[in-house]
Amino acid sequence: MFFGVPITGATIAFFVLALIIIASGVFLMSLQKVMHMALALGGVFLGVAGIFFLLGADFVAVVQIMIYAGAITILMVFALTLTQTGDDTEPSGHIVHKVVAFLVSAVIVVAVLLTVKATPWPVGQVGVQPFGPNVVAEIGKAMFHVYTIPFELVSLVLTVALVGAAVIARKEEE
Amino acid sequence: MFAWQNTPMTGLHLLGIIIGAIIVLLLVLITVMYEILAQRKFIGWIQRRIGPNRVGPWGLLQTAADVLKLLIKEDVIPAKADRAMFSIAPIIAFVPAFMVLALVPYTMNHVFTAGMNVGVLFYIALSSVSIIGFVLGGWASNNKYSLVGGMRSAAQMISYEIPMGMSILGVVMIAGSMNITTIVADQSHSQFGWYIIPQIIGFIVFLIAGIAELNWTPFDLPEAESELVAGYFTEYSGFRFAFYMLSEYVYLFAFAALATSLFLGGWNGPILPGWLWFAIKSALIVLLLFWVQATMPRMRGDQLMSFAWKVLIPVSLFNILLTGLLSLFV
Repeated sequence: MFFGVPITGATIAFFVLALIIIASGVFLMSLQKVMHMALALGGVFLGVAGIFFLLGADFVAVVQIMIYAGAITILMVFALTLTQTGDDTEPSGHIVHKVVAFLVSAVIVVAVLLTVKATPWPVGQVGVQPFGPNVVAEIGKAMFHVYTIPFELVSLVLTVALVGAAVIARKEEE
Repeated sequence: MFAWQNTPMTGLHLLGIIIGAIIVLLLVLITVMYEILAQRKFIGWIQRRIGPNRVGPWGLLQTAADVLKLLIKEDVIPAKADRAMFSIAPIIAFVPAFMVLALVPYTMNHVFTAGMNVGVLFYIALSSVSIIGFVLGGWASNNKYSLVGGMRSAAQMISYEIPMGMSILGVVMIAGSMNITTIVADQSHSQFGWYIIPQIIGFIVFLIAGIAELNWTPFDLPEAESELVAGYFTEYSGFRFAFYMLSEYVYLFAFAALATSLFLGGWNGPILPGWLWFAIKSALIVLLLFWVQATMPRMRGDQLMSFAWKVLIPVSLFNILLTGLLSLFV
C-alpha cells in the first residue's frame, strides 16, 4: 500500500506513464528547438496511448499510436526537415514576464487542485481489466449497426476533403 | 505469474517480466545473427561467390565478430550534428521493432505472446513509430545524404503502410478477429485451409508492401548506396549504426513472423512440433526476401509512389471486395 493505493502492476504502470506524459509535456514547453518539441509531443502521445491500454481501451490506444504518435508526429517532423534551416532559438523573455507567468500558472494549479479535491468523484465498483474482453467487436457493432448513417456521412466528408486536397494541390502545380 | 495487472507487485513478477524480455531479446539477437549470415551466404551462392567462410566453421561466427567490432568502435558524433537527437534516434528506431515481437505466436502455448485483441493493428501502429527514428536520424546528422534518405524513408513507409493494412484486412475479415493468436488457431480448422489460399491476392500485396516497409530491395531507395552513400545512417558508426541495422533485421524477422501467422498458418502443420513449423515457414519467407533482393534492380522514385497509389491500393480494395463476397456466399 502506498498512500492508500495498492501497488499492483497497473498502478506502477500508471505512475510510470504519468511521469512520461508530464516529463514530455515539460520538455515540450521548455525545449528551444522546434524539432525537439515535436519529439516531446510524440512522447506525450505515446504516454496517453499507454493510459488508454491501462483503461482497457485497446483499440483507442492503438489508434492513438497510429494517428497521433505515428502520423501526426511524422507529419510535423517531415515538414520541419523540409522548412527549417539553422538555429531557431529565441532570446528568453524579460524577468517581469517570467514572474507574472509563474504567478498565473501557480494560481491556476492551486485552483484546479482545490476543485479536484472538493469534487466527489463517482468510484466505479468494477475494476477495469487491461487487455480484457473484446472491445473491438463492440466498437465494430456500434459503428456498423447503431451508427451506420453517421459513419457513412463522415466517410463521405473525408472523401470530399481528400478529393478537394488533391484538386487544390494539382492547381498549384500548374 | 503473468497476471501482473491486478495483483500486488512482487519481486517474482518483476523477475518474470525481466526474464521474459531477456529470453525474447536473446532469441532475436541469435535470429538476427544468422539472418545476416544466411543473407550473405545465400546471395553469395546466387552470385556464384563463396560468402563469409573464415570466422568459425562455415563462417558461422562471422556476424558475432562483426557485431563485436561495431561495439568496440569509437562512438563518433559529427561536430555539426544535433547531439541529443543523433544519440536517441537509433533507440527510437529500435524499441518499436522489439516491441512488435510481443505479438508473435511462436508456439501453440503462448508463454511470451501478448494475446491482444488488436494485435494486427498494433503491429502497423508500432512500425509507424519507427519511421520517426529513421527521419530524425537523417535530420540530426546534418548531412544532405542523410536528410534525403530520411525523407525518402518517411514518404515511402507511410504510403506503403496503407496497402499493407488493407491487405491484412482480408485476413481479418475471414478470421473475424484482429488477434493474431486467434487468426493462427482459426487456420487449423478453417474450411479454406491456410489463409494464403483464399487470400492469395492479399498475400501478394502484403508481401510487396512489406518489402517496401522494410526498405528492402527493390524498394531500398532510402539507403540507395549508389546515390545516397547509405541514406539516413550515413553519419552513423559503431554501436549506433549497429542499432539501425539491428532494427532493420528485427523488422525483417517480425515481418516474416507476421506473414507466417496471418497467411501460412503459423505453427500449424503435420508431424513436426509447432515451433519448428513456425521456424521453417518464417525462414522460407526470409529466404524469399533475400532471393528478391538478389534478383531485382532498384525502382525509381516516381515509379515508387505511383505503384503504391495506382496499383497496390486498388488491388487490395478489390481483394477486400472479393473477400466480402466470399464470406457472404460461402
